[in-house]
Amino acid sequence: MSTQPVNYLETSELVLNMGPQHPSTHGVLRLVLKLDGERVKAVECIIGYLHRGVEKIGENRTYTQFAPYVDRMDYVSAVANGLGYCLAVEKLIGVEAPARAQMVRVALAELNRISSHLLWLGTHALDIGAMTALFYCMREREEVLKIFENYCGARLTTHAFRIGGLQYDLHDTFEAEARAFCDMFEKRIDEYEQLLTKNPIWVERLRGVGVLTAEECKSFAVSGPMIRAAGVNWDLRRAQPYSGYEQFEFDVPVMHGADSYDRYLVRVEEMRQSVRIIRQTLGRIPGGAILAKVPKVLKPPAGEVYVSTEAPKGELGYYIVSDGSQHPYRLRVRPPSFMNLASLEKMAVGALVADVVAIIGTIDIVLGEVDR
Amino acid sequence: MEMAANSMLNTLKRWLLLDLLDGLWVTFKMQGTGNIATEQYPSDRPKVAERYRGAPRLNINPENNETLCIGCDLCAKACPENLIVVGTVRNKETRRLDLTTFTYDLSRCMFCGLCEDACPVDALELTQDFEMASYTREGLIWDRQMLEEGPRPTQYTR
Amino acid sequence: MATDPWEDELASQLRSSFTDVSLKLESFHGQPFATLEPGGYVKAVEFLKAQGFDYLVDLTAVDHPKDPVRFEIVAILYSFAANRRVRVHTRVGDGEAAPTLTGLYAAANWLEREIWDMFGVAFAGHPNLKRILMPEDWQGHPLRKERSIVAMDQEWVRANLDIESGQ
Ligand code: SF4
Ligand code: SF4
Repeated sequence: MSTQPVNYLETSELVLNMGPQHPSTHGVLRLVLKLDGERVKAVECIIGYLHRGVEKIGENRTYTQFAPYVDRMDYVSAVANGLGYCLAVEKLIGVEAPARAQMVRVALAELNRISSHLLWLGTHALDIGAMTALFYCMREREEVLKIFENYCGARLTTHAFRIGGLQYDLHDTFEAEARAFCDMFEKRIDEYEQLLTKNPIWVERLRGVGVLTAEECKSFAVSGPMIRAAGVNWDLRRAQPYSGYEQFEFDVPVMHGADSYDRYLVRVEEMRQSVRIIRQTLGRIPGGAILAKVPKVLKPPAGEVYVSTEAPKGELGYYIVSDGSQHPYRLRVRPPSFMNLASLEKMAVGALVADVVAIIGTIDIVLGEVDR
Repeated sequence: MEMAANSMLNTLKRWLLLDLLDGLWVTFKMQGTGNIATEQYPSDRPKVAERYRGAPRLNINPENNETLCIGCDLCAKACPENLIVVGTVRNKETRRLDLTTFTYDLSRCMFCGLCEDACPVDALELTQDFEMASYTREGLIWDRQMLEEGPRPTQYTR
Repeated sequence: MATDPWEDELASQLRSSFTDVSLKLESFHGQPFATLEPGGYVKAVEFLKAQGFDYLVDLTAVDHPKDPVRFEIVAILYSFAANRRVRVHTRVGDGEAAPTLTGLYAAANWLEREIWDMFGVAFAGHPNLKRILMPEDWQGHPLRKERSIVAMDQEWVRANLDIESGQ
């Protein structure tokens, strides 16, 4: 006989496994949630399902050969990945891409930012329950991908840039296509906003969800739209301009709510600013060479550099150590998604299970980059 | 005063779900059939870009029906995946390399185009063919004949 | 590596604050970095954090199997106020534990787990040191130089596909 009174209403914690095959975890992310009723008490991310050893591959390829692999990390913004990699190697060998190549790179990288944000917006809205937005976003993204296809022959893993500049010169119809896209797209952004920004369901689901203050953002090394939504005015395109970004006029959207809703507003505004930058490149792309003089067999002098760019998801950095041979001695990628995802273990605590879905969405992760 | 009126207006808007209806109006506008983005593949084949990087082809000189490839092995060296194998023999008379075999393992190819860029005589080319599926792994290892003739995708008719 | 000396205000502050540990201040392509013994490493990062470097950009390691002290730990710090980055390097031997930065930056948690996973460098004081990318039951640490990518590939292809790998 137990002397302890039996409490039939005893509550205990529930451990819930979410993913890795879950439609709202954006790939193969697994979360182990510790729940008290509907509230999350603790969460652990289990990642690595998509680990392909990109850094190890890098040590076993020549500098030129490694370029296609970086496209496969954050596969929805392959152009931005390629840009960062090319800039890093160019810094190591002390070469700068010609003016024409730089401008083309900016135009394509901004188109890429739009396509990445569009995919984010569509899937995020889908997670929250607004299915329509996904179709519209995909439709517009298709236009961007068509421009990529016409430019370099591939849509997703583009391998658009080469070390020292470009392999392909702009196709004749590029300017017309980009202009048509900008004209069409500006109206479309208004439509997305009409669909979502004031929609009471959308606002209720995002306001105050997944708050991460500026201090916490810095401690977790969160970057990109997430830190800008927390009131930190920091965009590498502005702070440390690369590839000629200093020539362009654009605003860095900053919000102060530090929640999912403000991240949405920041990203939407970023798309508008990207259109603005693309418009500034049109008609201004200088002529001349597209590829700087780079030796066929690339042997950078021994040394190490860290170069980072503002990818659509945040600060994408490459830390390359060269030992003077044809292969990088060590190639480290600083993946924005990985760092941003780490903050989930903080943001999700205290949230409802349904909000966890919203919080994953608001981080904008691509598991290919988290796991590399 | 103005503030109060504003908040009244906002409350009214909320009650009447005007913002929600505003969004629904966007959806409704898309009813028109002028807006269709879906492609009817495979009955309508998409036209891919001129620079599309698809199935590889080993080009033949149309004048004498001989291969353009000079067996220099540069494509194989450029390939990050190391999937091209070029077999050559030294021709005693012309003292040049003659191509004997050429295998290309499509199952590992990522269509990056580095091999195509490396080829000095434009013999190897990534073409606009995009239908390369195969039921077996072996079916994706293309030999010289396959590379010269190109893939033959099934043509579906209604 | 042909480096330049790192001379500026921050460098002299560092030099005067760390007189008792060996400290090397260099820069390469205009990117400054400080190299310290493990004993001074956390202190230097702490010092820099107090100087405004409150953002741990990245934390990684480099394997030098031929050197007497094998692993180089590299911390990249960023200061929003000064808009600049500095790197702090230290070395630890095989089997030794490096000091952790988790007390200073939340971001160090996952980054140190990744170093443990990839290189097998432990971090003394880390709250949750376990594999992050590789499966729990994986043997070894893949980014060590002795792990050959070709051998790993051949092994796997032979065991799982019954063919010879083309690599
Ligand atoms: S496209 Fe790239 S991966 Fe494919 S064979 Fe050519 S170089 Fe190799
Ligand atoms: S690079 Fe061109 S010519 Fe040389 S072996 Fe390859 S296909 Fe033939």
